[in-house]
Amino acid sequence: MWLLSFAQWVQSTDFFTALRSSWYVYPIVMATHLAGIALFGGMVLATDLRLLGVALRRRPVADVVGQLRPLKHLGLTIVVTCGLLMLGSKAEEYYYNAFFRMKMAVLALIVVHALVFRGNVYSRGSVVEFDRTGRIPGRAKLAACLSLVLWISMVVAGRGIGYIEPPLNKIHARGGRPLPHGRGSLTRGAAQVAAEF
Amino acid sequence: MFLAAAANPLNASELVFPTLEVIHIVGFAVLVGTIAIVDFRLLGIGMRRQKVAELASDLAPWTLIGLTMVLLSGPLMFSSDPDMYYLNRAFQVKMVLLLLAIIFQYTVHRSATKSEGPPLRQKLVACVSMTLWVGIIFGGIFIAFI
Repeated sequence: MWLLSFAQWVQSTDFFTALRSSWYVYPIVMATHLAGIALFGGMVLATDLRLLGVALRRRPVADVVGQLRPLKHLGLTIVVTCGLLMLGSKAEEYYYNAFFRMKMAVLALIVVHALVFRGNVYSRGSVVEFDRTGRIPGRAKLAACLSLVLWISMVVAGRGIGYIEPPLNKIHARGGRPLPHGRGSLTRGAAQVAAEF
Repeated sequence: MFLAAAANPLNASELVFPTLEVIHIVGFAVLVGTIAIVDFRLLGIGMRRQKVAELASDLAPWTLIGLTMVLLSGPLMFSSDPDMYYLNRAFQVKMVLLLLAIIFQYTVHRSATKSEGPPLRQKLVACVSMTLWVGIIFGGIFIAFI
């Protein structure tokens, strides 16, 4: 239960309490998270589609992978920073959320993917080799497919988070609203009820 | 005038709406992500070894795929609860920005990528483009908060 205690402590800090309580800061962080996803996702997509040989075929693989990497890292930094801010402000609620757990499991798989393919697909040496031989090997195409599937799974799990009603009797956070549901009036009711809680 | 929310088959299954949301999110990542690659190129960042015109035409089909995904999923989500969206201030702002962004993308932005115009103009076009698309994302998120 140390993780739960830690989650409760994190969200009770002044910083995260303030973040949670403001009606506009939380959505701004969430929107920035989404904008980061667009940037990061676009770079992942372009990189993987190049490896699959379906986009940017006029450019060498090394150019596409290498030149998009800094932008990809910028996108990832935005996504992770905003993700941590949202997590910290409602840590306890995320702790109980099955989709959040699923999202973290997918994230773990993404780390495994990176460990497996970073050296032999995405590294400078490998992409230069693909260009030299003029052939993209099966493992690179597999890596690209898996990457796309994993990142789309992240979106699915991420969007799912908002659909789970928080166990209000177990939540200690004061101020703010529970995770927003994408849906309008239907779930708005539930959010309102929880806000009064 | 609007389809009654209760009569809409979309509301019959609780899986339809989240599925549309995922299509919408992946779609705008494809749409805005590919535009961002071109915009950063206009700013002199990323893909610098490729000509702007070439990069833009290589990515155009993917931008269009992303645009199609959001323009198919968006109106379907809207139809699940038209009155709420119609009256939602964030939604109204989002629609105005979307209209501006699409017009900008296929007029000013397109011509900026085709010609090697003055660098300052290119950079300005890139900044306007990114501001519009990020504004749309913000509008979308705020629908659920106001």
